[in-house]
This record gives sequence, structure tokens and C-alpha cells, in this order.
Amino acid sequence: MSRDPVAEIRDLRVEIDGRAIVDGVDLRVLPGKVTALVGASGSGKTTTGLALLGEYPPGARVTGGIRRTGEGPVGYVPQHPAAVLNPARRVGALLHDIARPQVRHLPRAERREAARQLVLHALADAQLPDGEPLLRRHPHQLSGGQQQRVVLAQALLLGARVIVADEPTTGQDALTKSRIVEQLEQVAARGIAVVLLSHDLDVVRALADEVLVMRAGRVVESGPVERLWTAPRHEWTRRLLDEQRAAPRDGASVDAGQPVLEVRDLTAVHDRGTVVLRAPHLTLHRGECLAVVGRSGSGKTTLARCLAGLHRDHDGEILLDGTPLPRSLRHRDRSRLAAVQYVFQDARAAFDEHRPVLHQVARTAVRLRGTGEREATDEALATLHRLGLAADLAHRRPGELSGGELQRAALARALLARPRVLICDEVTSGLDTVTRRGILDVLAGLAGEGDGLSLVLITHDLDTARLADRIAVLDAGELVEQGPAQRILTEPQHPFTVSLMRTTERLETGTRR
Amino acid sequence: MTTLPGRQRRFVLGLAVVAVPLVLALLGPLFVGDPGPRATSFTLGGDHWLGTDFVGRDVWQQVLLGGRTVVVTALAATALAYLVAVPVALISALTRLRWLEELLMRPLDVLLAVPSLLLILLVASVLSPGAAGLALLVALVNVPDAARIVRAAAGEAAARPAVEALRMQGETWWRIAVGYVGRSALRTLAADAGIRLTGVLYLVSTAAFLGVGVTPDAADWAVMVDRNRTGLLVQPWAVVVPALLIVALTMGTNLLFDAALEKKGRRP
Repeated sequence: MSRDPVAEIRDLRVEIDGRAIVDGVDLRVLPGKVTALVGASGSGKTTTGLALLGEYPPGARVTGGIRRTGEGPVGYVPQHPAAVLNPARRVGALLHDIARPQVRHLPRAERREAARQLVLHALADAQLPDGEPLLRRHPHQLSGGQQQRVVLAQALLLGARVIVADEPTTGQDALTKSRIVEQLEQVAARGIAVVLLSHDLDVVRALADEVLVMRAGRVVESGPVERLWTAPRHEWTRRLLDEQRAAPRDGASVDAGQPVLEVRDLTAVHDRGTVVLRAPHLTLHRGECLAVVGRSGSGKTTLARCLAGLHRDHDGEILLDGTPLPRSLRHRDRSRLAAVQYVFQDARAAFDEHRPVLHQVARTAVRLRGTGEREATDEALATLHRLGLAADLAHRRPGELSGGELQRAALARALLARPRVLICDEVTSGLDTVTRRGILDVLAGLAGEGDGLSLVLITHDLDTARLADRIAVLDAGELVEQGPAQRILTEPQHPFTVSLMRTTERLETGTRR
Repeated sequence: MTTLPGRQRRFVLGLAVVAVPLVLALLGPLFVGDPGPRATSFTLGGDHWLGTDFVGRDVWQQVLLGGRTVVVTALAATALAYLVAVPVALISALTRLRWLEELLMRPLDVLLAVPSLLLILLVASVLSPGAAGLALLVALVNVPDAARIVRAAAGEAAARPAVEALRMQGETWWRIAVGYVGRSALRTLAADAGIRLTGVLYLVSTAAFLGVGVTPDAADWAVMVDRNRTGLLVQPWAVVVPALLIVALTMGTNLLFDAALEKKGRRP
């Protein structure tokens, strides 16, 4: 069925300071179809997607045409949903603002209830079926996944005819991911055009009708999803689709002696005394890589933050080499601060936007190891180089680096402390396949380096968890299962782990429904 | 969208507007000749370029003399207010000790509840301060506002992962507070400073109208506006010129701050 496109981009070229970010892109957005733009970060996906909204980066020179037929706004679900949710207002207020004008035709007495129904309906459509308690929370009290679904609900409430979803499944666990796929499928089935900007190829394969492969601002290949997967024509497409998996580690470098880090009877609470995490016992040996797996909101980030000393409201003990660590990092001395380092999920937010990356990376060595300014800079450059970040990029400010580049810099920043334990909180979740593969390779090479570096990988993604020697599974704040990676991945015991595995497999094989 | 020429134009405009009152205020007193004999009140023309004021003094001379108190007092009061407000705000934004934050911020709330002019008049009636005392008083009543605004901007920056990352690196309090949080709050602070200077100018002028800090017949732009009002229809220059100079000063500073803040937008 060849319907008219609801939006069309023709020969779009976006240029900043003489450098083309997007060059010669053609895009037809058909109603009821899912059009996916795939490519590495920095390939111009987001710029193209935003062009559909009529938005361009500041200072950009734009040539080429955007044509939108049909009415209704274009909805945009951004990669970092927190940025578009007013932090000062509750979720309920944010959604009611949109719903209220839509019920104005009703008698005054019925409006409130009608608006409430619209909001709850939109929440349910955005895969937040039990959304009512969420309405009373502020955006920062939601997990990243929940925030994203609230933004999606906003777009659905607005009655958008085209929805541009920028990495909608990024940062989501396998179960939620498959639900998002279903959701976007339903959205498309209602005749809404979905433009999916993603580097999550499993999702693209399961969802998209048409795929455009982008590289450095150009479309290198486009076509129906099946054709692209079975017979990629362009070399770059082939590389992008080449999802070789990391082989499970053999665990040879793991030392079975005294654990580096030991968690005993940990109970973490959030401000009002709600228990968000219970971990009776968890150990990390020298040179070991431990993956903590769970859905968003399962308490895995809280666990990581407790270890790093960033979340101090907890009972129980965290032992480093058998001696208790102070709860807050403010009370940890230099050597203990250096021993446990933490890499943040959102690398961009974790860098000072005013200073060059290199300077920030080098400061770790200066502060925590007392290295001189010059040696620290040299060491920073060497480490950045080893992690695959060129020197000219290192001298720039964070705003000029891509997400993947910044994540490498963040890893380097933590490594310069020469830590015993490196905690990585979802460090690959915002990245495209090629970049993610690169970071995972870096991580795989890190475990056991130096004086037996141990890794804690916080992830929702079982592909990342394959890297680990041992896996701990968290569900709703409880540590439900832990054991060697091989066993958890092949014969999971707990029902939650089983369902997590099954969904992942289904997504990977690309089966719909 | 080339913002630079527009920004430069605003810079030049702001600078030009603010330069007139500033130069007059700071250098004016150097160029005042002999006061000469007093003439008739409220005359136009003759030997007097801008006419004479309510007691027959030359208006132009009064304009040259009368800026220093207003401008210097206002600038000093604004600077003083931030000197107190910024450290208080940064400390309370970055501490996790609840009591310390309460201790720093709550007394300011009490001060906030008292109308500023009332407070100034009250203290002035007891102590009868000079120009320096007035600057101190005006600074004091501006501290709560300024501290709250800087605290809010700094609080947002202090909650970012970047601050946690800096702590993880073992950075010093100074580096985190001034180097990152303070710098992130700078835009808000500068915007606030533009408005605050205006507010302070009017407060100083109002205080002068009411005779606080300066004598009733002093050469002072604000006092001139007040005293010469009676002759406004006979001799408008004695009111219009000092009033325009005050307006130029406030408008010029706001234009300057706007131009300084108008950076190239950040990448989305």
C-alpha cells in the first residue's frame, strides 16, 4: 500500500561552521510505518530526526526541504528524557497540562475526570499501566526508563501524527525493551508514523519497516529491513550488523583468596525510609568481573552507589580488603577513594562542560595519587590513547565529543586513580553497536589488569553481562540469584531470571510478537 | 543565525549608554568650576547652561557633583551584597548537613520578611549613617534575595553527576564550589546582578529622597529630582537631566549584562 508520506525530507544538508553534519539526506515518513535511522553516534541521526520537527542546531546553515502534510504536531521522545521534563513539577501536572485543553468542550464538572482518564490512558499506552502512583512523583524520582515512558505518554496525549523516537530503548532492560517494541508497533498500527533513531539493532530489526543506514551525515544504504539484514550492500552496513558476541571469560585470572570487596547485610533506603535494596551477601574477588543485572528501578544503581560511597543511607557493611569502608566518600581517605572508582551512566552529565576533557581526566592522578601536573597529563593522554581516544579530541571540551568518546574519557578518568574496583553503571547503554562493542572490548581487557583490577558492571543488558565471570540478579530491590555467569546464562533458577533470558532471546532472533 | 554582530552592537550600545552617567559621576567633580554667586531660583538660560535649581545654584554644576554618591554607593552596595550572598549560597548548596543550611539560610528569610525601606529608615533614624553606612545598609537588605537566587542556581548544579564525579576524584571543596558549581551558576548570577543593581540604585535614590545618607540640599542626582520637582513646569532641566542619568545608568548596565550573557547557544 503506497500512501502519501506524512513528512518528507529532501536533500537535507545541515552545516555548522562549514562542516556538514548531515549531507544529502532523503527521507520519506509513511503513516503506519516504522522508519529507522541507524548509525554510530555522531552520524547525524538526531539532527535528521530533529529536522522533522523543524529544529536545527544553533548556528546551522540548512539547505534542502522538509515537507509536512497532515495536521498534528511531530512528537519527539529524546534520548535523555529528563531534559524535557520540568523538574519542578509533578508528572501528573505535566500530563494534565496537555490533557486539559483537549477536554475543554466538555461541561466543567466532567473535565477533571475526563482529563484524568486521558492521562491514565496515555500512560497505559506508554507501557506504564499502573501509572497512578507515578503521577504524584517528580521526574527525578522516576527511573530513566520511566521518564522516557512519561515523555512518550506526552507525545501520545498531544495526538502526534509522527513520533520521532530518539533511542527509545536505550537504558532499558530486555523486558521493557520488548514492551516498548510492542508499544511502538501499536502506535504504528494506529496509523501514526514512527521514526526510530536507534543503534539497538535487535530493536530495529524487530520493529522497522524501512531502514536508513547513516554514516558521517550521509545515508550509505537504505532499504526494507529484511533485505538489509540478509544482503547488506555497503561495507559499513556489514560492519554495523556484525554483532560478534564477547565470549564468556574463562575466569583464569580470578583469585579465589580473600575478596577485595564484600557486602554484608546491606539494606539501602531512600529519603522517606523506603527500602529500595536488600543484599544479604555479595563478594567480589581480585581480577573478577561481576555483572549486576536487573530491570530499571530494580535497585542496581543504588547498589553501585552504595559501594562507591555516593549513597550513604544504608545499613550493613561494605568491606574493602576486610576493613569496613566509610559510608560516604567524604569520609574516605585518598587511598580508599582511589580504590573504589565509579563510572557514571550519563558521561556527558558527569563532565564539567567548561574544562577540556584531558584536564579533567588528569586531575584524578593529581588529586588521588599526588602525581605532578605534567606526568598526570602524559599519563592521561596515554590512557586515553589506550582506550581509543585521540589526543586532539582530548583537548576539546565535553560538548564537542560524542557519547561514546566521553564514556571512554570517563573510564580513563576513573582508571587514572589506579583503582582496585571499578564500578561501571550502564556505561554502554547510550551507545551504538560499534561503539558499544569497542567499550565492551576495553572493559574485557581491563579486568585483571595492573594489580588485579576487579570490575562491577551494572547492566540491564545480558549481552554486556556475558562479559562477566559472575552474575548477580536483582529484582525489585532483592538479590534473587547469583552465581557463575555460565550457569546463570544457561540454566537460570529464579523465575525472574528465566523470563529475562527468554525475552532477550526473543528480541535477538528478531521475532515479532 | 549569526549572533556575533548583533551581540557586539548591543555591547557597544550598552557601553555608550552606561558611559555617560558613569563618566559624569566619577569625573564630574573634577571639572566643577567656582560655584559663583547664587542666582534666582528656577531660571532658564542666561549664564547658566541648564538653568538654576530651587535654591538658585547652577544645575550643570550640580549634575557634575551629584553623581558620585549615587553611583558609588549603589555599586559598592551591590558588590558587598554578593560578597556575602555568594559564599553563603555556595556553602549551603554543597553541604549535606541540614542544620548548617538552615543556620545559613533561615535568618535571611527573617530579614526578607522586613520591607527593605522600612529597615533602612529604622536604622537610619537611630544611627544616622553617612554614605558608607547607607551602602552597608542597602547591601544588607539585598543579601537575602541574592543568596536565595544564587542558592537555587547553585543547588541545581550541585545535584549534577559532575559534582559527584569531582568528589570521586578527591577534588577540594574550593575547586568543586568555585570551579564548577559557582561557574555553572554564573549566568544566573550575572542576570540577577543586572536587575539587582537597578533595584539598589532606586533604593539608594529613594533613601536620598528621604534624606538618609545625604543632606537635604546636597548635590545628588536623586535629591535633585526630589527637590526640584516643585519647579518642574518652570525649569524642567533640573529634574529631567538627573532623572535621565539614573535611567541611563540602570538601562545601560542591563544592556551590558544582557550582551555579556548572550552566548552562542549550546548544542542540543
